Amino acid sequence: MKFNDKNVIQQLQRRNEDALEYIIDTYLPLIKGVIHKVLSPLENEGMIDECINDTFLSIWSHSKKFHGEATDFKKWICAIAKYKAIDYYRKAAKNVEFTSNDIVWNTEKSAEDELILMEDKSELIKIINQLEPVDRNIFIMKFFLGFRTEDIAAKLGLSNTAIDNRIYRGKKKLYSKAVHLNFGGSVR
Amino acid sequence: MKDIYELLNDMDINDHEFEEMKVTELDKAKVKKALKESLRPKKKMNKWKKSAAASVIIVGFTAAALGFTFPSYASGIPVIGNIFKFLDGGRTAIYDNYKTYSSEINQSAESNGIKLTIQDAIFDGEAVSITYSLESNQDLGDQPRLRGRLDIKGTDGQSGGSQISKVDKNNYVGLVTASSFLNRKESDTVHVQWNIDNIYIQDNKEYIEGNWSFAFALKATENNIQWIDRTVEHNGVKVSIRKISITPMSYIVYYDQEVSKEIQKKWHGVDIDLDIRDDLGHGYSGKGNGGSGDRGGYNMSWSKTFEKLDPNATKLMITPHLRLYEYTSDNHGSVEETRDGSASIPIPDKSGKGQEEFVLEEIIIDLVK
Repeated sequence: MKFNDKNVIQQLQRRNEDALEYIIDTYLPLIKGVIHKVLSPLENEGMIDECINDTFLSIWSHSKKFHGEATDFKKWICAIAKYKAIDYYRKAAKNVEFTSNDIVWNTEKSAEDELILMEDKSELIKIINQLEPVDRNIFIMKFFLGFRTEDIAAKLGLSNTAIDNRIYRGKKKLYSKAVHLNFGGSVR
Repeated sequence: MKDIYELLNDMDINDHEFEEMKVTELDKAKVKKALKESLRPKKKMNKWKKSAAASVIIVGFTAAALGFTFPSYASGIPVIGNIFKFLDGGRTAIYDNYKTYSSEINQSAESNGIKLTIQDAIFDGEAVSITYSLESNQDLGDQPRLRGRLDIKGTDGQSGGSQISKVDKNNYVGLVTASSFLNRKESDTVHVQWNIDNIYIQDNKEYIEGNWSFAFALKATENNIQWIDRTVEHNGVKVSIRKISITPMSYIVYYDQEVSKEIQKKWHGVDIDLDIRDDLGHGYSGKGNGGSGDRGGYNMSWSKTFEKLDPNATKLMITPHLRLYEYTSDNHGSVEETRDGSASIPIPDKSGKGQEEFVLEEIIIDLVK
C-alpha cells in the first residue's frame, strides 16, 4: 500500500504497522529535532533515543485521539514530542538541579510541578479539564510544553501580565481542587 | 474528559519553530525495530528469544525443487532406505556415506492423524542430522513445514536447516540439521530433543496443531581435528580458516569472516563461500551449516560440511569466494522469529548497488596424517 499524508493517519488509526513505519520515515527528523532541543543539555544520548521511541509509541497508541487535517497531524505529533521531552527532562532534573536557556521554570517546586511529577497524571488532567478553555491551553503550553510566558502571550494575542494573572488564578484553582480531591499529601 | 493527547490536539503550535535534524536510514531502522519490539507482548519472552538475540540464527530452508525422478527410488517407497541420499537426489556426494555411520533411531510419535518417525541420526562433532518419515491422513501439500524446536541440551543457540520432500500421496521424508552450538561443552555426546508443535501447510496457510516429541542421545562419529589458523584478506574483508574436522563420511571446515566498517557501511550483505580441491584434482561439494556472529551478519563464524575426503589426498586447496551485495525485496526478507510470532526487519539504505564478486587468494593446507 502506498501512503501519503492523507491516508496514513487513517491507516495508523486502523493499526497498520506499515503506516507507523511511514510516520517514522517522514517525521523522525522533526521529532528528533524537537526532542534534541529539549534534552541535549542533559548530554544523555540514550535518554534522547528512549524519548524518541516513547513518542512514536504514544503516537501509535493514541492515534485515535487525533482529530483534524493532515497539517494538524504534524503539529500534534510535535506537541507530543515536546510534551514527552519535557516530561523526561523534568524527571531527570528532579534529581539534578539544572537550568537551561530553552526551558524556564521556577526552581522551587510549585504545586503543579509536584503534580506533574506524579507518576499518574490522570488526576492532574482531570483538574485541568475543569479550567476555562483559554486557561487550559495556557496551562498545557506552560507546564506540559514548556513555553515561555512571552510566547504564550504572543500566540494568544494577550499581554504578558494577562498570562501571568491567568496562571496565578489557575494555580489557585488547581491548588484548591487538588486539596479538595484529597491529594494534599502530594502538595507540600 | 480529555486526556493529554486530546488536549494537545487543541494546541495551536507553530510548527515552524521546530527544526528538523539529520537522520540516517540506520537511525530510522533502529527506531522501527525498537517499536516493533515494544509492540509485541514482552511477558512471554523466554530464553529462546534471548539466545536468538545474542546470535544470528540462520535457518536455511531448502525450497529448490529436488532433482530426482520418482521411478528410480520408487522401489523403496514408502520406506526409504537412505533418506540422506534420497533428499540429496544425486546432486552432491555429501550424504553418500552418512547412512553407514548413522545410528538407527526408529522412534515414532503420532498426533492428529500424522505419524512422524525418526529413522536415522548422526552427529559428526559439529552438526546433528536427523532423517524422518511422515505419514499423514491428509494431503499436506508439496512442502509442509514442521514448526518446532530442535534442541541440543546445554547449548544457547544453533543454526540449522531442514528439507522435506513428498514421496507419494500423504507420505513425506525429511532431513533436519542443527549445528554451531554456542557454548556447547566439548563432549562427544549430544542430547537431542525435538519437539514439533504444529505443521504448517504452505499451500493453504493452515496449521495442524499437535505434539510430536523425540529425545535421544547421539555419540559423535570419530573425528580428527586439525588446526589451521590461516587468514587471507581482500578489500577490507578477512577470511580465516580456523580448523578442519575429518570424519569417516565427511569433513567440516570452520571459518570466520571479518568485515571492515567501511564495507559494512557500503554493503548490506557479505558472503563467503569456499571452493575446495585436493592435490589429486578432485573437487568437493559442500553444504553450509550456518553460523553465528553479530546481528548484521558481517562478522561471523561459519562451518561447512564437505563430502568424504579422498584418503590419498595430501593437500587441500581452499579458495574463498567473496560476494558483496545489496538487499532487495527479492533476495532479502529479514524476519526475527520468536515463539511469540515473527517480526520483519526493515532494510536500511546503503550505497553499494547490485553485487560484486571476488576470488580471494588460495589457502593451501597440508593434511596431517
